[in-house]
Amino acid sequence: MPPTTPAELLPGTLDLLILRTLVRGPNHGYGVAQRVRELSRDVFQVGESSLYPALQRLTLNGYVKAEWGVSDNNRRARYYTLTPAGRKQLAAEEREFERIVAAIRLVLELA
Amino acid sequence: MRILRRLAYWLRLSSHHADLVNEVEFHRAMVEEDLLRRGMSPAAARIEARRTMGNDTVMREEARAVWLWPSLEALWQDATYTMRDLRRNPTFTIGVTLTLALGIGANAAMFSLIDRLLFRPPAFMVDPSTVHRVYMYRTSQGQERGTGGQYARYADLARYSTTFSQIAGVSLEGLAVGIGEATRVRNVAVVSAAFFAFFDAPPALGRYFTASEDAPPEPAPVAVLSHELWTTQYGAHRDVLGATLRIDAVQYTIIGVAPEGFVGLWPYRPPVAFVPLATYARSEGPPDWATTYGHSFGIDAIVRRKPDVMIVQASADLTNALRRSYQTQYQGDAAGAPLDRLRPRAVAASVLAERGPEPSRALRPARWLAGVTVIVLLIAAANVANLLLARAVRRRREIAVRLALGVSRRRLFGQLLTEGVILALMGGAAGIALAVWGGRVLGATFLPDTEPVSIMTDARTIAFSGLVALGVGLLTGMAPMAQLARTSLVADLKSGPREGTQGRSRLRTSLLLLQSALSVVLLVGAGLFVQSLRNVRNVRLGFEPDSVLVVELAMRDVRLDSAATVALRLRLLEAAKGVPGVSHASLRESIPFGGMSSYPLRVEGIDSVRSLGDFHFNAVSAEHFAVMGTRILRGRGFEPTDRGETRLVLVVGQSMANVLWPGQDPIGRCVRVGLDSLLPCRYVVGVAEDIHSESIEPEPKLFFYYMPALQWKPQEGGLFVRTRVGPTVTAEPLRRALQREMPGTAFVTVTPLGNIVSAKMRSWIVGATLFTAFGVLALVLAAVGLYSVIAYNVTQRKHELGVRLALGAGRMRVVRIVVAESVRFALAGVMIGSVVAWVAASSIGPLLFDQSPRDVVVFGAVTAVIVCVAVVASWVPALRAAGLDPKTALQAE
Repeated sequence: MPPTTPAELLPGTLDLLILRTLVRGPNHGYGVAQRVRELSRDVFQVGESSLYPALQRLTLNGYVKAEWGVSDNNRRARYYTLTPAGRKQLAAEEREFERIVAAIRLVLELA
Repeated sequence: MRILRRLAYWLRLSSHHADLVNEVEFHRAMVEEDLLRRGMSPAAARIEARRTMGNDTVMREEARAVWLWPSLEALWQDATYTMRDLRRNPTFTIGVTLTLALGIGANAAMFSLIDRLLFRPPAFMVDPSTVHRVYMYRTSQGQERGTGGQYARYADLARYSTTFSQIAGVSLEGLAVGIGEATRVRNVAVVSAAFFAFFDAPPALGRYFTASEDAPPEPAPVAVLSHELWTTQYGAHRDVLGATLRIDAVQYTIIGVAPEGFVGLWPYRPPVAFVPLATYARSEGPPDWATTYGHSFGIDAIVRRKPDVMIVQASADLTNALRRSYQTQYQGDAAGAPLDRLRPRAVAASVLAERGPEPSRALRPARWLAGVTVIVLLIAAANVANLLLARAVRRRREIAVRLALGVSRRRLFGQLLTEGVILALMGGAAGIALAVWGGRVLGATFLPDTEPVSIMTDARTIAFSGLVALGVGLLTGMAPMAQLARTSLVADLKSGPREGTQGRSRLRTSLLLLQSALSVVLLVGAGLFVQSLRNVRNVRLGFEPDSVLVVELAMRDVRLDSAATVALRLRLLEAAKGVPGVSHASLRESIPFGGMSSYPLRVEGIDSVRSLGDFHFNAVSAEHFAVMGTRILRGRGFEPTDRGETRLVLVVGQSMANVLWPGQDPIGRCVRVGLDSLLPCRYVVGVAEDIHSESIEPEPKLFFYYMPALQWKPQEGGLFVRTRVGPTVTAEPLRRALQREMPGTAFVTVTPLGNIVSAKMRSWIVGATLFTAFGVLALVLAAVGLYSVIAYNVTQRKHELGVRLALGAGRMRVVRIVVAESVRFALAGVMIGSVVAWVAASSIGPLLFDQSPRDVVVFGAVTAVIVCVAVVASWVPALRAAGLDPKTALQAE
């Protein structure tokens, strides 16, 4: 695997990525960060300094629910679960993202 | 939903905090573990993990900030910044605070007054919206007049009405409380036993009186003390119950003490005691006090509507009850039921007396003044907005730098807004302090002889002032924002602080125009009211109230027969004449402006004297005309020889002579006082000038005549005393001299006639005083505003003026330029203000006395004053401009 340089996240996409990783099931903050990194093949490295505020924001908006649980290695960890409102929000953000990407692509191809 | 979650978060703040710490710690541990797995040494892994985590305090704070209102913290920052800045500019801060204090203080004082008079329900009252005061009317001589006040009438209302769950008779009386030297006339609430049930105010001690104690024919002499009297006079001792208290003629037994702050319906005239209505009526009235309709005790009824009864129904029910009462009254009367003629009518109106079925006279100017205080506030706000604008412009470069450094405009606006609000709140606080003083002045002007009420402790007034301050703060804070929104960052950055002629701000100009226009409106109002008051003062009343004292006798329980009373009055008359400073004294029955007597008249050759108008009279002794300063135009006044056994004589007023015997000599004519044609003739011996007996306004259908006291009812009434040295000096020696002649518990009171008369002038005095005060206030504010703008403009135009001076313009020329600018502002304001005042004139007209609301002289004078103020306000900046050194001004470039 060639070494990748981490890329800047597009503004506003962090929430989308977090919500998407939670579709598979509840996960803790560390797990979310790991998944995003793995799935993006190390392109996106979610910093803690933006991850936790984002998780708090999602909780505040009611898109995720936080509960304490036990991690695989038997540590106490805070697990985030997608709520129905979060699912709806995810769908909406995905659609919006697709639209923007399609638009950018159009410009790149046609300009 | 978000709000709810936020609140939930706040409630469990510490546990959320712990969650976050634990969560981050977990994250760190996982990173460390990961690094270990990749073969790092434990020590290095720990350090590396901590390093990748970065500054976790900042991160935690950011995470937490999501939950908080982010603006909260910014607000705090802005506030501290503003405070620092304000401390650095004390002149500006004090100027703005004072300006706002004047505006907000005036409004707080006015609000407190109006609120108490018109809106605030009586303290302790249960469900005040269902409680009403009853007003009764009947028609006589084609004119509807107020009626009621008799005990029997009140009893009939209670008996015949059906839509009320509670009804009580009430009256507030000034009665002599106590005995001996400690006797004082105090306010005493005369109320039915049912009165207390309108309130949720259990007695602090003892009990209230019961319905059986308040019932004819033998009501009980029991009294309930006010908490205030109990603490001040009885040292709040519990053994006060059972003690006695003399009120007027009755020895009352104290059975209870009202709770603290309970003042019934009279917050401005708190009663010292509550006594049963029936007991009072029995002691003051004729033997048939409970059944007669011929004696009024001034009893008002208050009622509580049953649930589901509407106000119109209540009024209809009251009218019906009043009709039945009249039927009862005229039962067996040969004239039959006079209901068609009397057309009785009753209205359930607000329980607040000042509100009444129609607003009282003192209230009309009060409403106007409420408007005026709002104008003062507007002027103050415009002024402050202008000052803030000037400051914002001065800080243009600073602001531009901050913008360039990445401060968001929103944040910048927030800061300006915070500044406005903080200044306004400071002004509000100072304003409340001012209002405490102003409220006392207002209260004394509108409601003389009343207890002042504290504003400091009044939540409603404080809340009102706070709201006003907040509103003003937001409004004035917005002004610099409007300016800021238009600025161009680059231009501002490039412009030096000395940069000259930036186009004058349209906003500032309009604020200035608004200010001067509003002050013109107020000053025109002030001018009109002052003129009107002068007209009122110039009215020839037909007597000179300023040097006359009125002596009234209160006999309490001392019962003298007619002869003894006459002897007493004559003794008092002699005693009065012996007091130093007294020039004349006379007997009198009634008092002008204090309710005059009238009686039917018969004059030969005239079918119905009554149809010509109302004829009032006074029964007076010799010297009366000298005492009052009323001129005798023809014939003579009364002589000491006009006594019971001599020829009956009469002095008539000029208009009365003209209306009864037009074009003929009235001297020697016969007038019979009373309807019986067998009554003896009273012969006219003189004609006196007309007097005003009821109001300052012209009284076209009101006529006046005099009879000698000894030829009418010599036992009734008191004295008039004329003093050479002023009523206030003579009043007390006179009272002491007369009191020595009074038997037993009877006592005299001495009041300047001027006080009684000026009560009738109050609405004009109030209008003139307060309009003038506020007008001057507005003028000062406008002057300050004008000064600050001109001074600022001079600073802005330094460069231009420097060029002019360098090119050889004379110093006077520069002064003229600056002053002319100020005068132009002022004149524009005068024009706008005059138009507004001219249009508003028609509605202020009815409040003025014999004064056109479009008096050109007043408008002209105001214009002159404003122009003078404009010149004065611009003089200092103009001199400063003229003193500019052209070299420095130009070099600064």
